[in-house]
Amino acid sequence: MNFWNVRSSAAPAVVTEEHTYTYLELSEAIQERKKNYHSDEKQFVLILCESRYDVMVAYLAALQAGHAVMLLNHDLNEDLLKEIIHNYKPCWMYGEGPFPGYDQQDGLLWKRESQIQAAVHPNLALLLSTSGTTGSRKFVRLSYQNIQSNAESIAEYLQIDSSERGVANLPLSYSYGLSIVNSHLQAGATVLLTNESIISKSFWAFFQEQRATSFAGVPFTYQMLQRIGFFKMELPYLRQFTQAGGRLDERLVKQFGDYAIKHKKRFYVMYGQTEASPRMAYIPAEKVIEKAGTIGIPIPGGELAIDRETNELLYKGPNVMMGYAECIEDLAKGDELNGVLYTGDTAEKDAGGFYTITGRTKRFVKLFGLRINLDEVEKRLEQEIHLPVACSGTDDKMIIVIETELEKVNNMVKHYIEDTYKLHKSAYRIHTVDSIPRMSNGKTDYMAIKDGFQ
Amino acid sequence: MCKGVVKLNEQKLKLIFSEALEIDPEIINDELAYNSIAEWDSIAHMALVAEIDDQFDIMLDTDDVLDMSSFSKAKEILTKYDITFE
Repeated sequence: MNFWNVRSSAAPAVVTEEHTYTYLELSEAIQERKKNYHSDEKQFVLILCESRYDVMVAYLAALQAGHAVMLLNHDLNEDLLKEIIHNYKPCWMYGEGPFPGYDQQDGLLWKRESQIQAAVHPNLALLLSTSGTTGSRKFVRLSYQNIQSNAESIAEYLQIDSSERGVANLPLSYSYGLSIVNSHLQAGATVLLTNESIISKSFWAFFQEQRATSFAGVPFTYQMLQRIGFFKMELPYLRQFTQAGGRLDERLVKQFGDYAIKHKKRFYVMYGQTEASPRMAYIPAEKVIEKAGTIGIPIPGGELAIDRETNELLYKGPNVMMGYAECIEDLAKGDELNGVLYTGDTAEKDAGGFYTITGRTKRFVKLFGLRINLDEVEKRLEQEIHLPVACSGTDDKMIIVIETELEKVNNMVKHYIEDTYKLHKSAYRIHTVDSIPRMSNGKTDYMAIKDGFQ
Repeated sequence: MCKGVVKLNEQKLKLIFSEALEIDPEIINDELAYNSIAEWDSIAHMALVAEIDDQFDIMLDTDDVLDMSSFSKAKEILTKYDITFE
């Protein structure tokens, strides 16, 4: 059975701070919401996500109705949202309106005033941004089979059964956060919904009160957990915790792995990309110390391989996306990848079959678990300030170098990055220089920038 | 401790808040609370904690990191570490 066709049992499906909803209640709420999604043809729904029950209902009802769904975070930059609505013209919008060109249909559901004829591919289920809130207009096209197969695979290797009570503490519009919800529904388990951050007291009160058995985190989550003294917390109900969304420092992998072993819990370090719905690899919990620093082995149903010429890591499996979308016409496209994904990461494989990432073929950094394309930042900044710009950096910090004598440009760029990418200043550095480092062939010397402007 | 230092601590904390949260010092008052402004999110909170640790040469406890939900609460917590305010 598909995870979106939820069962009708008395077991708890979703728990919020205020209420516990059974699978039967969830199923009925979905039926009710589905009535609003009536259309003779397949359409697509744009949902502005917060970690709320009604948002989950809106999402699952759209899948059940056979429509496609685009998930975006509710705090998305307003101009960007406008542009996305203009480019993709969703039939329905779900969120705090009003939205120009849309009539209120029912509560938070808004319907487009003028219907347009746009073909949506029969297999298309989900459109997710490649970089969360950070301003990309490019979306990953995932099929029903993509998300279903990944939910099954995740439930299997994380050993999620109906007794699990996992906290969905990451945004639903983020492929990792959504995969927690999907895999728990698949297993008939309970999803604990909260918008609180792991550094607030109310989060841990909710966590204990609801006897949460798992949580998830990107590398920054684990840095925070270490700082707030996670190792000293008494968490008797916790069974497992997972990490994805970028490389976690090996020292932290070992510390959290040690903690897990000592307290008889399971710690999973995982690897994925939104393009793979998102999970591709994981380290089995019992190997996390021995294999710290690797991305592990392929998930059930998937295969990894390394391109002999380029060393690029390839993934093959039923969860590989159909392709990308950049405009409404792309929604009609079918599967363009045939189950094979070029990850953009280079890797090597050890004798035990574990893979380690060695580098990247594409120019991007992952800040707070979100992917930022350095070439795109460069291009957009140059359009904005009309000065030569070069971006480099690591997953800890993006470095922006601008060729100018004007000190005040620094501030302009800072404001632009803040507005567009919603990044905290600790995530990037801006330098103004007389000339951007270049190699003898005239190309930007990104290595010199990375090493020279830490 | 003399009054001058006490006043300096308040200013110092304000400066730390304004730097870590990237906000105008003018808008910082006792009522300023976590999540009440977009700038004070979890990422900024951790930057704030790091900065307080650094500048006052202390190491805030788990409970204190989680408890520090407003500017006035921050002052209250810091007094436990022998940093005084008016």
